[in-house]
Amino acid sequence: MKNKVLFIVTIIVVFLLGLLASSIVNRKSEAKYKYVPQVNIAENEPRNEVWGENFPLEYQSSLQTLDTSFASMQGGSATRDVLEEDPRLVILFAGYGFSKDYNQGRGHAYAIEDVHNTLRTGAPTSKEDGPMPATCWTCKGPDVPRLMNEKGIAEFYGGTWAETVSEVVNPIGCADCHDPKSMKLRISRPALVEAFDAMGKDINQATHNEMRSLVCAQCHVEYYFDKKLPGKEGVPYLKFPWKNGMTVENMEDYYDNLEFSDWTHKLSKAPMLKAQHPGYETFKTGVHADRGVSCADCHMPYKSEGGQKFTDHHIQSPLNNTSNACQVCHREESSKLIANVYERQRKATENRLKLEDLLVKAHLEAKKCWDLGATEEQMKPILTDIRHGQWRWDYSAAAHGASFHAPVETARVIGSGLVIAQEARVKLARLLADLGHNKPIEMPDISTKEKAQKYIGLDVEKLQADKEEFKRTLLPKWLDEAKAREAKMPINAVSSTKK
Amino acid sequence: MSLNKKILPPKTSRWRTTAVFFIAVIIGLGLFMARESKIYSYMSDSPQACVNCHVMTPVYNSWMHSSHREWANCNDCHVPHDNVFNKYYFKAKDGLYHASVFTARAEPDVIKTKEASQEVVQNNCIRCHVQQVTQVKYDGWIEGHKENRTGRQCWSCHKNVPHGTVRGLTTIKYNIAPIPTDPEGLVIPAWMDKQIRDD
Repeated sequence: MKNKVLFIVTIIVVFLLGLLASSIVNRKSEAKYKYVPQVNIAENEPRNEVWGENFPLEYQSSLQTLDTSFASMQGGSATRDVLEEDPRLVILFAGYGFSKDYNQGRGHAYAIEDVHNTLRTGAPTSKEDGPMPATCWTCKGPDVPRLMNEKGIAEFYGGTWAETVSEVVNPIGCADCHDPKSMKLRISRPALVEAFDAMGKDINQATHNEMRSLVCAQCHVEYYFDKKLPGKEGVPYLKFPWKNGMTVENMEDYYDNLEFSDWTHKLSKAPMLKAQHPGYETFKTGVHADRGVSCADCHMPYKSEGGQKFTDHHIQSPLNNTSNACQVCHREESSKLIANVYERQRKATENRLKLEDLLVKAHLEAKKCWDLGATEEQMKPILTDIRHGQWRWDYSAAAHGASFHAPVETARVIGSGLVIAQEARVKLARLLADLGHNKPIEMPDISTKEKAQKYIGLDVEKLQADKEEFKRTLLPKWLDEAKAREAKMPINAVSSTKK
Repeated sequence: MSLNKKILPPKTSRWRTTAVFFIAVIIGLGLFMARESKIYSYMSDSPQACVNCHVMTPVYNSWMHSSHREWANCNDCHVPHDNVFNKYYFKAKDGLYHASVFTARAEPDVIKTKEASQEVVQNNCIRCHVQQVTQVKYDGWIEGHKENRTGRQCWSCHKNVPHGTVRGLTTIKYNIAPIPTDPEGLVIPAWMDKQIRDD
């Protein structure tokens, strides 16, 4: 009898323990499946909408970069024709693509479309035609790391812009910055890694906070195409000129030692440098970087929706979002914060415009010298000054936000640019006098974009007509190829959620 | 031996085999549950142990992003430290209560501390911040400092420390306890690392 009771008690205990074990297993599974991914994201998955299946809040906020309604004093997401606003830039960029067409960038969602539209990419008549290499696509979307993985880094750079039109169709998005498995930040462009190597640093040592700026520094930096790399001769290999450091002088020395120029100026024949957009370099010299602020803190601040806190992927000017971007740290009225930013921008612009004036005159005076029979030897120091002066101007101007990111450094750079440009003009005045022209040269009318472009000999109407033809005929064909290619790419839906 | 005789039927009994079998099952299930529930981890001070229950993820996440991450783990605040026996007694009492509620699926969306736990947390706040809290000079220049100090809980004012403003299960969508932010490893894809190193 006692044994029977023990037996029954034992059975009950086993049953209850079984229930408890089952409960533990169920609860652990519940934890695992509380987050149920809709799709398994492949390595180098370029389609942002596929990532968006799993992360709708981030994806939907990133789509808001389609909004172009905001314009600040010198930025925002609205389209602005920089050449129309300031026709002097046509003269400064004579002989280069930026004299044809120079718009302020819109939001990330327009990255692909704006590359198709700009006159700088020309109107290729075939996949082997056109003025631009595939390297120009490097920062336009997540298809680029996919292609680099498939073809090789140098092999990607070695292609043409035109042949890559049907390959790069997804605008800047998730795979550019995130690891598909852990969602941690990740560098997807080799140029930044190689630049760190050149500086003797290992980018893998970066902290999470540093990564929140470095993912932006893959693209918002100064760069150039090196066609002389050993083993890769002729390939326009994307490089950052950071070997000697990131300052305007360090990079200038680097370029001078290489005898590198982006183009030869059409009027002055100076070997010119184009500062692409040294946003990261200028930011690093400012007080916000000094205090440990990262790019994402202001341009992608945290947002709260339905009790959930997430990084707002609507990347935009913080001036359009001061409550989340600025007022987290700066307990000031929004209008005062905006006024503070505008003050710095306005004051930097004052001197930047003076420098532009000097540089335009320098180019025109140099052209006059050539016309009067100046020799290479006579012109060389002058052209070097023009090169250095414009490099400093462009370093401050092309970084767009530099006057707020680093107002002290910007003032210093423009100040030294003014000195160099004025030195050039002093030399030019002496040379003009030696050549028998002992009075100021006549300045052409460059008061509008059209007049300036006509003066430097650009047939913009033809360029625009060619572009429209390209967009009407070849572009849709190549985009259809892309559509067909992407239709074959699988979407790895998780089986438990298959429709 | 006498214990054996009491529990196990005599060797001659036909129940003995069955009894041995079921006792083995009990022991096996016990070991299985210990492993599945990671019961051994509760002996440690690791915060990861608390995330064994996924309802603790929002609490863990907010702690991990707070200033306390570098200095204090869960037990430093939520378990008494006056003596070792009280520590483990309180831990066991609280733990069994939590486990019971969790097993019964009775956990609330927003977890609030009971009075006994509040007392423990308050004492631990003071234990670490005793220098700030008992600064004598404050009595001299802050009116009512002593009454404010002794008559209220720390979080009457420090409401966000360390678990944030918005609490509860709805604050997390993905229930992923975060990976430590500065791990060893690459910040570039493996294929890129290979290509660059090969050059």
